[in-house]
Amino acid sequence: MYVRSGIRGLDKAIQGLRLGDNVVWQIDDLSDYVFFAEAFVEQAIKDGRGCVYVRFAPHPPVLERREGLEVIEVDPGQGFDHFSREVHNIIEARGREVFYVFDNLSALVVEWATDELLANYFQVTCPYLFELATVAYFALVRGKHANDVIARIRDTTQVLIDVYRVGGQMYVHPLKVWDRYSPQMFLPHAFNGSELTAIFHSGEAAAVSATASKHPLRGTSAPIAPWDSVYNKLSLYRQMGRGFDEADSETIALKDELRLMLFGSHAEFNHLAEEYFTLEDLFQIRERLVGSGRTGGKAAGMLLARRILMSGKDDSGFDFSSLLEDHDSFYIGSDVFFTFLVENDLFRLRLQMTSDSQLSQEEFEEVEARFLAGRFNQAIMEQFRNMLDYFGQAPIIVRSSSLLEDSFGNAFAGKYRSEFCANQGSPEERMEAFLRAVKLVYASAINPGVLAYRRKRGLGESDEQMAILVMRVSGMPYKQYFFPCLAGVAFSRNLYAWSSRIDPERGIIRLVFGLGTRAVERVGKDYPRMIAVSNPDLRPEVGMEIARYSQRRVDLLDLEANEFTSLPLRELVGGRDYPGLSLLVSVMSEDYPQDPIGERVDGPPGDYVLTFNNLMRRTDFVAAMDAVLEKLEHAYRHPVDIEFTATIGPQGKARINLLQCRPLFLPGHVGEASIPEELPEGSVLFKSDRMISGGVIRDIRYIVYINPESYAGVPSLQIKTGLGRLVGRINEHPAVKEGGVMMMGPGRWGSSNIDLGVNASYCDIDNAAVLVEIAREDAGHVPEVSYGTHFFQDLVEAQVVYLPLYPDRPESEYNEAFFTASPNALLELLPEAGDFEEYVCVIDVPAAAGGARAQVVADPNTQRAVCYLE
Amino acid sequence: MAEINPFEMAQKQLDECAEILKLDPDVAAALREPMREVHVSLPVRMDDGTIRTFRGFRVQYNDARGPTKGGIRFHPDETIDTVRALAAWMTWKCALVDIPLGGSKGGIICNTKEMSPGELERLSRAYIDKVWQFIGPEQDVPAPDVYTNPQIMAWMMDEYSKIRGKNQFGVITGKPLNLGGSAGRGDATARGALYCIREAAKTQGLDLIKATVAVQGYGNAGYYIATLLKNVLGCNVCAVSDSKGAICCMDGLDPDAVCTHKAETTSVIEFPNTECMTNEDLLEMDVDILCPSALENVITAENASNIKAKIVAELANGPTTPEADAILYEKGVHVLPDFLCNAGGVTVSYFEMVQNFYMYYWTEEEVYERLDRKMTAAYHAVYETSREYDINMRQAAYAIAVKRVVEAMRARGWI
Repeated sequence: MYVRSGIRGLDKAIQGLRLGDNVVWQIDDLSDYVFFAEAFVEQAIKDGRGCVYVRFAPHPPVLERREGLEVIEVDPGQGFDHFSREVHNIIEARGREVFYVFDNLSALVVEWATDELLANYFQVTCPYLFELATVAYFALVRGKHANDVIARIRDTTQVLIDVYRVGGQMYVHPLKVWDRYSPQMFLPHAFNGSELTAIFHSGEAAAVSATASKHPLRGTSAPIAPWDSVYNKLSLYRQMGRGFDEADSETIALKDELRLMLFGSHAEFNHLAEEYFTLEDLFQIRERLVGSGRTGGKAAGMLLARRILMSGKDDSGFDFSSLLEDHDSFYIGSDVFFTFLVENDLFRLRLQMTSDSQLSQEEFEEVEARFLAGRFNQAIMEQFRNMLDYFGQAPIIVRSSSLLEDSFGNAFAGKYRSEFCANQGSPEERMEAFLRAVKLVYASAINPGVLAYRRKRGLGESDEQMAILVMRVSGMPYKQYFFPCLAGVAFSRNLYAWSSRIDPERGIIRLVFGLGTRAVERVGKDYPRMIAVSNPDLRPEVGMEIARYSQRRVDLLDLEANEFTSLPLRELVGGRDYPGLSLLVSVMSEDYPQDPIGERVDGPPGDYVLTFNNLMRRTDFVAAMDAVLEKLEHAYRHPVDIEFTATIGPQGKARINLLQCRPLFLPGHVGEASIPEELPEGSVLFKSDRMISGGVIRDIRYIVYINPESYAGVPSLQIKTGLGRLVGRINEHPAVKEGGVMMMGPGRWGSSNIDLGVNASYCDIDNAAVLVEIAREDAGHVPEVSYGTHFFQDLVEAQVVYLPLYPDRPESEYNEAFFTASPNALLELLPEAGDFEEYVCVIDVPAAAGGARAQVVADPNTQRAVCYLE
Repeated sequence: MAEINPFEMAQKQLDECAEILKLDPDVAAALREPMREVHVSLPVRMDDGTIRTFRGFRVQYNDARGPTKGGIRFHPDETIDTVRALAAWMTWKCALVDIPLGGSKGGIICNTKEMSPGELERLSRAYIDKVWQFIGPEQDVPAPDVYTNPQIMAWMMDEYSKIRGKNQFGVITGKPLNLGGSAGRGDATARGALYCIREAAKTQGLDLIKATVAVQGYGNAGYYIATLLKNVLGCNVCAVSDSKGAICCMDGLDPDAVCTHKAETTSVIEFPNTECMTNEDLLEMDVDILCPSALENVITAENASNIKAKIVAELANGPTTPEADAILYEKGVHVLPDFLCNAGGVTVSYFEMVQNFYMYYWTEEEVYERLDRKMTAAYHAVYETSREYDINMRQAAYAIAVKRVVEAMRARGWI
């Protein structure tokens, strides 16, 4: 359908606008854009069109407010993701055949640092406008953007018009007019206010064109994207050598700019980054960045922590420069993520996923398949190739490093994927595996767990860019395998102080042999060694329990099979020739662990138990970790949580490779939590003298109670698995969300092992205010072991009160009758859940307790908790 | 529910036995109290430099038949009455298997989980420093028990030897094998039960080659009894269980393969080619031999009438409640009571003492042979007594034990 632009000559020259047209004006001066936009809107209002002016740039308004024009302001300062989403929402809400004028797009580059995101934005917005048969005006400053960006915009838009002035004369030069043609259409046109005259005469045309475009074949002469300009300027200063002064005010400003571009503008983080990162550090990071954009939270945290440790003195006496292993990572900038989404038509899908976030696992698998089918552009592929050449066949790990990840208060612990690449095979095979890993990490940005987490933490609409950290896997080859000797996570505070002899103000290490995946995840039937830094010898198990609660399998990379796998300990080290084995294992003999006396380990490998006893006694590993944690906490001015690998060198000296560092969210800091001294008789439902996280939760309406005995008797795996999903449905029920819910179940929540507890993931229980693990000690349940896992992190951050309940102990005052005899409201909430009524009881507390509701007070100072009716 | 005082329970059992034996009340009274108790206070320097003082006990219940013998427990909830009761039971157990020992028990109130190895060593040595006058190879011989292990026994033996100025291996049993421990201790309890079951099969006319077995509990004792019954006696072990559930295969299980599976997965359940069932189902299975090997009070008044096994071999302590005992007896189920069935452990401990005296150590086979003789004799004594007095096997076991202690006391002229 023919649409008038408000300028007769223009309509004639390009055969009029059409519904669906996106019109990009390349201008030298904003006033030229104002002129055409004004005419367009004037005409549109006359024609009775809905008109919207999308205002986002700091330049003067393109259009004044008037009747018939809706002006909507959007803030690009919150990032590409948020901005694109907002614009998308605006367009979606207004529907078909609405006319739009947008501010000058070049302003976005200043905000977002790179041209890449500008092109991405254009590429996701225009097709949607086209679909809705709108007509939209955009402007770009000529000659200030990279050629490939203009090329992408040109490919996407329907109409691209250059406007420039030569000798006071305005020329209008259509460069692209989709689906329209005339012999003179693509010539420069002189514009006299209403008519356009094609410049056909060669002499005049040459003069006009040559003046208008000084570098017709080369890249942009003066890019405005800070990403390149800041870096280029600093590089130039550095190359100039002697005169280079880091204290110079321009250098400081440029350095700040570069730092913000690499790490973003998180206030707490920036404060530290400013204090610790030198310009040389920033250069090194920038030089290892694929694409553009930020490095993401995980990479930033890791780099910062390393820098903190390497800087200055401390009292520990540790030489951190010899303690820390050299570091060897690359970063895939956050812009690459969006370019990938945009170029593979996935961005809109992602928008839908985050705003309407109910996604089943099966649906997610389909989404994942679409990601896997996506492709990267040649420029990125070339950088990937260079990076893989650099690593050669060394195993690497592709780790998510999103902008929100690992920031203060939002750990996103383990929400996104990390993928190991054994990195064996031909360059093509290695590239294929690497690309697959990157795409899987990208897809994980919209997995159901992430969406639930974002929703819960109010991050649903905030900017989330997925950068990636590509790290050399630290470790060494052994047989056909590759893995680190030691790996794990450590916390600078110990909330798992199960004995008064353990100082909660000092750290705890969750240590494994092999890849650290075992320490980070909650692996059923397998237990990392928990080492209290203040008292490393203490452990809550004795005798045969030590073997039972130990790590049995080792995660590693199988270089022959070119895959990540896990092997039983005895199979891996059965040959007894693993270097330093005597530091790692004890031999179970006569029902207790015996630590090897020398370097040789005797006894049958089936009796080896990973106790790390000699590691603690013969090396400085624990002291080194203590020093690391203390120094980091001191610098962060906040407790921290780290991931690491480690090896032991000569003379028992530890070498540590820091993989990650982030602020540790401490539970229980939620105000006063004094246990009420005198509670009316019969009001107590249970007490607990051990808590994992504290807090006060008032007026709980629902209790989801999974009776341990009926759970143990569940006849089929199908029903057991279904129980987890059912809990998820209860969790999502509006009445439950509104009324508050405490969930009580046997054994461990969040375990992947269905025998250890209900197979619920974080998103199945994320509305619970209180989570209770009913711990039958004789049944092998050890609730505390969840501490330090990602699941635990989630609960802590969500301030879920998390308690073990020992029903067999008289001091628990466990009112079992209340839980077993109260009426079951399950079918009232979920009428279709009849199959599960026997196993899951939903207690509507006021109905069962004469109007009273359940109250939970868990005092982290005294480690006492009580649940009572009031 | 008020908690039962374990010592009062032990006294009640003795009273019942005295009634059966028609003991002189004055004699019975002499048996109702421990003969000697030592209470000690143990200051120990902790790793952080502070001093913590622990309390300990040693109760020598009755030494009429010889030096007393009994374990040392390190437990935070230890009480003198628990130690007294356990010392009494040791007296009867030693007498029942007819080894020349009395009964004792010791304990320290401590939480080993909250102590470093160095602190545990200092505590162990401190205990010996305080009780050494009252123990010794010819007086009282401790052994490992709850939360104590061969390493702790080695420290204690070493401390005692230092005080005495000479090696005194015989002061403690349960030492590491390389420090005077006895071969055959690992499966001693199960092996003792094995010999009892073999003898019981003879008296009950059970063909062991065709016999089916269910084992409840798959810890040390459960695993060993399953292996031994299959490999030594040729029985068909068709069901085993642990705290997570039971597995069953009427064609028979391979106990070693199940053990490997449990080591890898922490449980016997989901062992390939087996059916899953509950622990309760397992107890009521139609098998010839049932071996409760884990927990107390699993056979109760509720399920006793459903027990179909011909022989119940109590490897666990106290798996049958008194009410259930009566029901089983009525039903004609042949119960091998715990303090007979699991007396293999103390018997091999006694062998360790003997070998320490000899300074000559037996092979595993020699240990087994001697254990066999002791257990076989003990079983038949109990069986004969139960017939003679027309009482159940548990009552008979008590009767024999008490009678032997009384005879020794009389011979010594104490009564």
